[in-house]
Amino acid sequence: MSSTRSVSAFLANLSKAQTKHNIFISTRPIKELQSTIPNSTTTVAIKDNICTLEEPTTCGSKMLYNFTSPYEATVVSKVKAFGSAIIGKTNLDQFGMGSATTNSHFGITTNPLFPTGQGEAPRISGGSSGGSAAAVAAEGVADYSLGTDTGGSVRVPAALNGVYGLKPSYGRISRWGVIAYAQSLDTVGVMAKDLELLESVYRHLDDYDVKDPTSLLPEFRDKIKELQGEKEQQNEGQVKYRIGVPEEFMIDLLSDKVKTGLTQSLTKLQDQGHEIVPISIPNILNSIYVYFTLASSEASSNLSRYDGIRYGYRSNEDTNAYAKTRTEGFGEVVQDRIILGNYNLSSGSYEKNFLKASQVRNELRMDFNKVFKFEHIFNPHPEIKGDIDFILSPTATTIAPTVEQYQQQTIPEGYAMDILAAPASLAGLPALSVPWFVDDEIPIGLQIISQYGNDDQLFEVAKLLKELN
Amino acid sequence: MLRFSRTYATKPLHQLKCGIEIHTQLNTKSKLFSLSSNNAFNSDPNTFISYFDIGLPGTQPKLNNEALLYALKLSKALQCDVNLDSSFDRKHYFYGDQPLGYQITQHFSPIAKNGKLEILPELDGVKEPLTVEIEQLQIEQDTGKSVYVTETATEETVSKIDLNRANLPLIEMVTKPNFTDSNQVKVFIKKFQNLVRYLDICTGDLETGAMRIDVNVSVDGFQRVELKNLSTTSSVMNAIKYEFQRQVKLIEAGRGDEIIIETRGWDGSKTNSLRNKESSLDYKYFPDPELPHILLDKSVMEELQLPELPDQVLSKLINKPYSLSLKDATILTYDLDLLRYYLDLFDLAVISNGVKNSKLPGNFVIHEILGNFSKLNMRFDPELIPVAKINELVQLIDNGTISNSSAKLLLQHLFNNNEDISRPLSELIDEFDLRKEETVDNDQELVSVCQEIINENEKTVKNLKKKPNGLKFLVGQAMRVTQGKVNAAEFERVFKGLLNVE
Repeated sequence: MSSTRSVSAFLANLSKAQTKHNIFISTRPIKELQSTIPNSTTTVAIKDNICTLEEPTTCGSKMLYNFTSPYEATVVSKVKAFGSAIIGKTNLDQFGMGSATTNSHFGITTNPLFPTGQGEAPRISGGSSGGSAAAVAAEGVADYSLGTDTGGSVRVPAALNGVYGLKPSYGRISRWGVIAYAQSLDTVGVMAKDLELLESVYRHLDDYDVKDPTSLLPEFRDKIKELQGEKEQQNEGQVKYRIGVPEEFMIDLLSDKVKTGLTQSLTKLQDQGHEIVPISIPNILNSIYVYFTLASSEASSNLSRYDGIRYGYRSNEDTNAYAKTRTEGFGEVVQDRIILGNYNLSSGSYEKNFLKASQVRNELRMDFNKVFKFEHIFNPHPEIKGDIDFILSPTATTIAPTVEQYQQQTIPEGYAMDILAAPASLAGLPALSVPWFVDDEIPIGLQIISQYGNDDQLFEVAKLLKELN
Repeated sequence: MLRFSRTYATKPLHQLKCGIEIHTQLNTKSKLFSLSSNNAFNSDPNTFISYFDIGLPGTQPKLNNEALLYALKLSKALQCDVNLDSSFDRKHYFYGDQPLGYQITQHFSPIAKNGKLEILPELDGVKEPLTVEIEQLQIEQDTGKSVYVTETATEETVSKIDLNRANLPLIEMVTKPNFTDSNQVKVFIKKFQNLVRYLDICTGDLETGAMRIDVNVSVDGFQRVELKNLSTTSSVMNAIKYEFQRQVKLIEAGRGDEIIIETRGWDGSKTNSLRNKESSLDYKYFPDPELPHILLDKSVMEELQLPELPDQVLSKLINKPYSLSLKDATILTYDLDLLRYYLDLFDLAVISNGVKNSKLPGNFVIHEILGNFSKLNMRFDPELIPVAKINELVQLIDNGTISNSSAKLLLQHLFNNNEDISRPLSELIDEFDLRKEETVDNDQELVSVCQEIINENEKTVKNLKKKPNGLKFLVGQAMRVTQGKVNAAEFERVFKGLLNVE
């Protein structure tokens, strides 16, 4: 964070981290870094599904291994304007599909939080923004990074790498130039070790973008500010929170360390005079099914444009068709999800799968609205309102497993990585994963979830948790 | 008895039922979801494209509000119920010229429903009135174009792709199967083309593909067949007739169940199966996850102003003060330039300058001017003969300065010698000696001309009782001798006097 950063030390750190953990798909030329690093206040790593002009944007897939975008994502222009030096593009699960950054055409990214010596099995970095999380976790590389979060892809890797990871309210940060996985869920998120930096980057990126049809309109941004102003007046001084803990998050999959960490944090909050309220959000239990139904459906549609005709990989065996291109260009997980999505959208199963999932998603939104005190600006039933300020839960069920453990999991077990993160994505809610140290140097991730639009509160609570830990 | 047998005789043995689907390409300034220019017809391939049009990843659609406005105009003109909350869906199919892998359309909640277009005997020249019900209007994207080329070296057929057309705005309109004969379809198509031209939302041309027509045909309640690749109105008509006959033959042979739900193409002489239900695609429709709904305020439709529509114009023209025949009025209604020209002339001549014969403007515009253009094999061009010139000409006829036939000669001269358009008419009249003879002073001269003709045509004169048309012949002779300078009615009067006939 200082402008007196040593270029040579930085390059040494970058090289070491890259060799050990395979964090970047591409890095900026050394010449460029030598001139930008000393002249920038911060360094940033960008997930390789966010378009930049200077290098290919691959989405971690062979399908786009040679695609260099002719335009730059709005968030990339914004980090440049923020004065940050771009280090490079980080590894990810192909097209954002995965929870461990093990599904990349460019290899596995491992977790820098854990020792890598002899006899130490490498651990997963989480996914799909595993590269971006690792770039921040690795010593002296990126001060912050940009990722994308569709069902936990920023928060889960942030938790596993022991850094902060923000998924803002849907529509707050522009998605223009961000390659879609599932647009109704996709958000751009930020990761950092430093909470103040995370907040200031978020404030810089949080802006209406006319090019993004899902960007939150200025009038709604103003409305939220108004609501936040009213709340501040009511509070006047000492804030005592009512903290909701959904029983549906207390699942068997939580490791002892995660359970201990959560209990510790709740106890300390209670000691400060905050109230812990057990709540129920019944549809959380359905979230993972709803998530995979909707995300795969949207993905199968979004990925139908990749035919190798206009850009990207093209198989030599394809002349007037492109089945081969798609078979060779997409990884196995991507193909699975395309098949799943096509099934969900096919006329025989559209109603009972896609439509049903959309309905449950709406019910989940209502479930959340029933507990939050802060008004949801798009809630069609403003009379339904709760008394909870925010929800606290673990971000991931465990600390990072080894790559081997992870790869031995069955597909549904792998899906369970996102079980705690998907609900906020489905409801479009802002959520922040905060590192919480339990008994050693490997923290767990705690997830703060606020009402739609009330992203500011995440930072207040994160500061509080930081003080208490 | 007679009545019964006539009814029986005209009742068709087989009942045809047709519905049609029209894709109307909107002539908006830019494309449906991007800012690239909608100017693609006949331009170099792939020169009018934006990042979104060609499906680059990371791009997003942004609805062009002009396309929405055009759709609302058409909805209002077709008296549809406009959907105040409509939305976009994706229709998936793989094709080289479909860059997104799907088309953005309105499947679940289209912009408008339940409209109608009336076909009326008094305006459309049909025997029976017909209300064509419009099922729905939906806004959607056009695709690119594939051109198949055989490489000379390898003899391999390759498809070349032009994405200029990709993402142009279309309105798909679907009618109910209200048509029972092909002529009704023809009248409807013409009427719909004219409507979009008046609304100025589409050129209405089938030849350029700006308007594309598919037809559904079923006979006697058997399965419905869809006809595609119909690029002209006559191919629409011929394809319907062919398909009707094909199905009738099957039905009469007791093989009606061989008529299956399928899509057939028209190759110019017959229909051929393109695909049937089994091979039809599952489009996997679902709501576009990032395009916002189109939310409209009720007042929008009330406030939306439409220009005068063809039926209104037609009614106006066949009534006072214009009092045109339906045939002439229809000709004008189908050519907006000509219509404007006629109305300008009528205003100038009849309303501003008090020309008494209000038929003159119509006769000149529709018969003389159009006739001269077609003789020259030219499209009507209002610049060639300015309205002011015709106004002058019409006034000269009306005030008796020149005869009708002299005026026609003069007009023909102006067509053939367009450089004379800037010379004053009076100068030309004098040059060609077309000024009408003063009737009173020259009666003597007329009498001698007529007498001479009577003398030369004894036979005609003798047979005048039996063949009264002979008088017209005599008048024609007299006109020829005097080169049309004298009004035909004058000669008729003189002949009648000399020959003592009524």
